[in-house]
Amino acid sequence: MGVLAFESFVYNDFGARMAMDDSFVVPGIEKWVDEVLLDGPGTQVCLRLPEVIDRAKLRRLVQERQIELAQSGLRAGGAAALRLPPSLAFVTHLLAVWRSGGQAILLDHRLTDYEVRRAIERLVPQVVVAPAGPVVAGLRTFVDVEASIASYSGHPASTAHAVVQLSSGSTGPSKVIGRTAEDLVEEVKRYTQIDGVPVENERLILLPSMVHVLGLVGGLLYGLHAGVELVPPARLTGDAILQAIAAEPTPATVLGVPFHIGLLASVQQSRSLPQFKRMTTGGELVPKAVSDAFEQKYGVPLGNMYGMTEVGVIGTDLYGQHRPAIRPAPGIEVRTVDGELQIARKESPYLGLSDPARWSDGWLRTRDAGVVDPETGLVSIKGRLDSQVSVGGLKVDLTEVEYTLGTLRGVEAAVVVYDGSITAYLQLKERRETVRLEAELSQRLASYKRPRTLHVLDQLPRTTTGKLVRDLTVLRKAVS
Amino acid sequence: MTILPPPGRAEVIDWLAGLGQRPPGTERIDSMELAWLVHQVEQRYGVELPDEQLERMTTIDAAVAVLAEVLSSHV
Repeated sequence: MGVLAFESFVYNDFGARMAMDDSFVVPGIEKWVDEVLLDGPGTQVCLRLPEVIDRAKLRRLVQERQIELAQSGLRAGGAAALRLPPSLAFVTHLLAVWRSGGQAILLDHRLTDYEVRRAIERLVPQVVVAPAGPVVAGLRTFVDVEASIASYSGHPASTAHAVVQLSSGSTGPSKVIGRTAEDLVEEVKRYTQIDGVPVENERLILLPSMVHVLGLVGGLLYGLHAGVELVPPARLTGDAILQAIAAEPTPATVLGVPFHIGLLASVQQSRSLPQFKRMTTGGELVPKAVSDAFEQKYGVPLGNMYGMTEVGVIGTDLYGQHRPAIRPAPGIEVRTVDGELQIARKESPYLGLSDPARWSDGWLRTRDAGVVDPETGLVSIKGRLDSQVSVGGLKVDLTEVEYTLGTLRGVEAAVVVYDGSITAYLQLKERRETVRLEAELSQRLASYKRPRTLHVLDQLPRTTTGKLVRDLTVLRKAVS
Repeated sequence: MTILPPPGRAEVIDWLAGLGQRPPGTERIDSMELAWLVHQVEQRYGVELPDEQLERMTTIDAAVAVLAEVLSSHV
């Protein structure tokens, strides 16, 4: 993290830095937040919710949140856990934490109390910011929430990372990923060098959650840096996405995951949208039939991005010219070792002891099978090498699901597979109702991680040496 | 305009199948399926389903019940 600067100035509504009145207590000001994200004309639109938030208003809101966070006990070098859905409250608190020299721990609002408690006990934030009341999000991509700040501890953050995120872990608890301010700024600057990203005064129709890396850096941070308006559609439906595109005449890029392509491709009546410039998706690969149908319907390029929480964007194909391959983003060095794609990274992104199976000697192991074309440098991703699956762009490690099932009372053994959706097979050591097991699991795992189907078997299929069988055909047969 | 009756269980399952592979016997509806289902319903019926009702559509049977309620009162 950069050097902290406790300078006495704030922004006025015209975007100019203004000397502070001595009687006004202001928390520290971390320069990179201003220089990279908040600086710019005060009248420039940052967010359309549809309430318009321009830079002047955003800066004012961030300063207000800084004061509230300081009053609740956040100090420079301390951490704030943000358990907020995508919202103006999330954006302003995040920027306020960073501007105050704090570390932001991002907790998906869909995580259960159990998962949040474990994260907080491990990461020991100074404050926890959460919605003041229940959130009824429905299909909203951006919600209106009032945040409440709870003081938690007086401890400094355990590391100097600016952002800490949880990822579905391979052995039980989520693994914890940290990124420094320098690393985030580097990624934002990387986006500016990629041909095909939206540019100043264009709009980004933002569909992925900005609590996760694609929406956070590719959407929020890049948008603020480049002067791109961020427009979350009113709802996550095909019509609402098209309405968001049509609402203004300026060029619009839609950022989403492959599921959103299907939504747009299935809208029955498409209107003329000359301002629709491009759709870009991260997450899993898009089948050719789907991309062809989309491009035929809308006549705009369908771009593809590949990245991970630990690094951010790794490669892109924003014109759909290399599908399914991608070109490494500027400054990203890749290699393959024994068929696995690895990314050059000086420091381990993981908090705690570094697992050499994930990072060693300056290389991050993606756990994705990949091929790098020696002639063109293009990278083809060939699927996962471990038990991680993607559910609507969110990564879920099936071993975390299996582990958590194994902690439930009465469960003898569990096998969790991906069979179009997450499916669990259980062997019990005492009689338990499936609904009770599902209810208990819902206390421990966020909804997107939970099996869609639980099959209870008298005996799970095993090999002759007693190992659990994970073959889908065998498991399906055992049920029937 | 013809007034469509609310969808039954078979129709809901059929619409969800349009999203992709779905293991038979799966009852729970995840957030993507919910978005897909709402998209299908709103295109066919020209209504906007309120957030409070969407929160209740967690299984196929619950979705059928909510849609019966909302779409009947709509017509």
